[in-house]
Amino acid sequence: MKKTKLGEFEELVLLTVAVLQEEAYGVEIKRELEERLRERLSVGSIQSALKRMEQKGFLTSEFGEATRKRGGKRKRIYSATPYAHKILAEMKDIRAGLWASIPQLAYDLKTI
Amino acid sequence: MKEKKHITPPKWPLKFLRSFVKKEYVEEIEGDMEEVFQENIEIYSIKKAERIYAWESLKLLRPALIKNLKRTNEFNPYGMFKNNLKIGWRNLLKHKGLFAINITGLGIGIATCMIILLFVVDELSYDRYNEKADQIVRVVLRGKMNGELIKEAVTSAPAAPTLQQEFPEVLQGTRLRDYSTPRITYKNNTFRNSRVAYVDANFFSVFTLPFIKGDPKTSLKEPNTIVITQDEAVKYFGDEDPMGKILDFKEWSAHFKVTGIIEKVPANSHFHFDLFASMEGLDDAKELKWLESNYHSYLLLNMNSDRKDLESKMPAFVEKYIGPQVKQALGISMAEFNEKGNDVGLFFQPLTDIHLHSDFASITELEQGGDIKTVYIFSAMAIFVLLVACINFMNLSTASASKRAKEVGIKKVIGSTKKQLLIQFLTESSMSTILAMLLAIILVLNTLPVFNNLSGKVLQASYILNPQMLLYLSVFGIIISLLAGSYPAFFLSSFKPISALKNKFTIGRGKGIRSGLVVFQFVISTGLIIGTLVVNKQMSYILNKNIGYDKDQLLVLRDSWMLGNKEIAFKDHFLNDSRVEHITMSGYVPAGPSNNNMTGVYPDPSSGVFRRTIVYHIDDRYLPTMGMELVAGRNFSEEYGPESSNVIINQTAAKMFGLSDNAVGKTLKHATDNEGGTEDLIIIGVVKDFHFKSLRRPIDPLIMLKNPNSGLMVRAKTSDMPGLIGDMKEMWTDFNVEEPFSYALLDELYNKTYLSELKMGTMLRIFTLLTIFVACLGLLGLVTFTAEQRIKEIGIRKVLGSTVAQIIALLSLDFLKLVCISFIIAFPLGYYLMDKWLRDFAYRIEIHWWVFALAGLITLSIALMTISFKSAKVAMTNPIDSLRDE
Repeated sequence: MKKTKLGEFEELVLLTVAVLQEEAYGVEIKRELEERLRERLSVGSIQSALKRMEQKGFLTSEFGEATRKRGGKRKRIYSATPYAHKILAEMKDIRAGLWASIPQLAYDLKTI
Repeated sequence: MKEKKHITPPKWPLKFLRSFVKKEYVEEIEGDMEEVFQENIEIYSIKKAERIYAWESLKLLRPALIKNLKRTNEFNPYGMFKNNLKIGWRNLLKHKGLFAINITGLGIGIATCMIILLFVVDELSYDRYNEKADQIVRVVLRGKMNGELIKEAVTSAPAAPTLQQEFPEVLQGTRLRDYSTPRITYKNNTFRNSRVAYVDANFFSVFTLPFIKGDPKTSLKEPNTIVITQDEAVKYFGDEDPMGKILDFKEWSAHFKVTGIIEKVPANSHFHFDLFASMEGLDDAKELKWLESNYHSYLLLNMNSDRKDLESKMPAFVEKYIGPQVKQALGISMAEFNEKGNDVGLFFQPLTDIHLHSDFASITELEQGGDIKTVYIFSAMAIFVLLVACINFMNLSTASASKRAKEVGIKKVIGSTKKQLLIQFLTESSMSTILAMLLAIILVLNTLPVFNNLSGKVLQASYILNPQMLLYLSVFGIIISLLAGSYPAFFLSSFKPISALKNKFTIGRGKGIRSGLVVFQFVISTGLIIGTLVVNKQMSYILNKNIGYDKDQLLVLRDSWMLGNKEIAFKDHFLNDSRVEHITMSGYVPAGPSNNNMTGVYPDPSSGVFRRTIVYHIDDRYLPTMGMELVAGRNFSEEYGPESSNVIINQTAAKMFGLSDNAVGKTLKHATDNEGGTEDLIIIGVVKDFHFKSLRRPIDPLIMLKNPNSGLMVRAKTSDMPGLIGDMKEMWTDFNVEEPFSYALLDELYNKTYLSELKMGTMLRIFTLLTIFVACLGLLGLVTFTAEQRIKEIGIRKVLGSTVAQIIALLSLDFLKLVCISFIIAFPLGYYLMDKWLRDFAYRIEIHWWVFALAGLITLSIALMTISFKSAKVAMTNPIDSLRDE
């Protein structure tokens, strides 16, 4: 893994985007994450994470539909780039590898 | 369920977030925020939802979201700037001709403007070198006596000291008395060109004249002490230390001890004396003669006091001090004196007004001052010439705009904003301005000596090349770049890319404004030509007017009193010379420095009305020598003896005394002193009016008494003036006079009287020429440009049979029309302004129609020459050259 610099929160947001697919826009991401993390998030935190990742090339975006609830403003639908998927997969593998490498002994000792 | 009312989020947080969030994110984030807000309304109260909204918008202040804090999304301005410079430079090189015209025009314009500004600044700086300049006033006399206006810059001896005693707001009262240029001897050297004044001991506490040696406060406390300027000290004492040395004033039989050395009086002072003698020794200064005015009096006022306040106290002051002496002299009280329509009062003139705002009788002034009108006229010229130069720049830039239409179009299509284009064009105009400024500075440095010569000023290059001035110059440069560059920049940057690229753009755009500007330029040029013509004509009228005497071939030897008792012998010797026609003994010269006496006459002895008149002391030969004519009666003559009670008067005096036709034989009462003593004078002749003061003023009444005095005037009848003068010099030396022979020619003295007008005339001519030159450069540029634009049209016309003349006419007529329109505005304007200027002269010319015709003709022919210079060239090109390239 090179210097991809994907922060923990960013990784969560990125995964959420991947999960939500067509529905991945600001408020929906926020809602989904709040539910999963069981804590309140601000619009700003989600948005800045999205923008940063877009700049780093993890996300692309395009305008979606506008609703009355949004005061006639269009949504911006995000989608993860193949590069992002690759990085996510890599990270998952690294983590899995790490989990696998934790000495069994220690694990066992702990359970005693 | 009832349709829910749509609630919008609070306004101010919305505005707030719009103000900092990056433009491209605003829509999305606003939408998100609103969606969250709408959801919150469902859950919470509106108030709380609003609070959350506000708080959330505050939380949007994140580096990733806010506007270019680091300009990461902007152009690199340095790169853009470099690019602008490069394009600007290439553009200049591509249009070398236009570029040269632009730079030259602007350079000359700025140089002229700078020189005039230096002149104006210098004029305005007079007497400001005094640290307390704003607190110093000069006491002046204004009023009316026997229907005659009195304006004198001098007051009586007791005025200043008494004012100081009487009013606490007067901190110092100091006096100066001009004693002209006496002979001063040190050891064996005698000089006669140092200007001497008597001043009070506190003079140097009021005026800031830095001392090199000695103490400003005590130097002149003792009688017979004197303060000398450094340069003069070197003249008298060479390397010796001047302090304590004795200077011998033989004419006054007085000796003065040098007790102080000061620096030279600054050029921008209203007086320039070389020696300041202590007034302690001057008895006249201590006498309480309120009715004699000989002293220049200055007051140093308290910082907070107002001179108007003090002036309002003057009538009482005059009543108290001058009243008794009026009563004694005229036998009437001050009130009665005023009832007769007389009104004399003391006023205070600010020191800084003396140079430009004085209208006092010139004999009461220390030096001829400037004129605020000249300052106005020159300031206007500075603005005019700069405007004309800037207009050239604007016109040429907008005219050549079509050449750059494609560039602008493509830049806009690629995404250039209007602001960026504005910056680009302003960069270009500042490049030209900087080059023009450099050219202007070089021009100014090189022409300053010439200008000094013309104006009699001592402006120095160091005025320009100091940091402060350079700062002003750069501000000046920025203003010019904006002035000259703003219109073209707005004009060029406002092109619609589609029409610019489709070649729909034509030269016709902006033509109206360009034509207007050309008309404006020629209004200025024509107006200046009219002004120059009128000024020149007025000046030659004055210089060649029948002034009542013959000023040519007349030698003035005012120093002949130095011959002492040999003066008669000297005169008689040259009377027998065949080259001499007449010699008169009199020091009264009608032009230049002269003996000067005022006296009073009671024309009608019974009424007691008193008229102030000038008096000339002359001899039998004065009138024939000067070539003056008698209109009635006879001249003085030896046949009638001394004739001490006879008088010749001038026509003005005869008219004023009510004796127009039959003056000869009448009696005048002549005041012999201030205490009311009189003598009877019988009029034996009336001399034709001649001018003995500036022609700006009407002729004053004059009486002439037979009373031969020192000073010789020689009427020569030879073409060999140098020979005659040489012989006189020899004779003079033979008589062993201490001082070298000196002489003057009357016509030169006369011309000197009008020096300021002559100088102004010359400068006006030069500046007019420059302005016209700059305007024509602009015209040349425009013609060049139009000709290039229409080169194909001309080619086709020639192929179809047009003659060269027709094509020249085609190209010229448009411009000549504009020039003619400018006449319509310039003529009435010129007439109005010049008529105002002429009103200052007592003797003046009429402004005839032909002045305008001539001015029009000059302008038209200059313009025509300029235009045909280029259009002829274009008209004569072979059509194949212009048509081939397609």
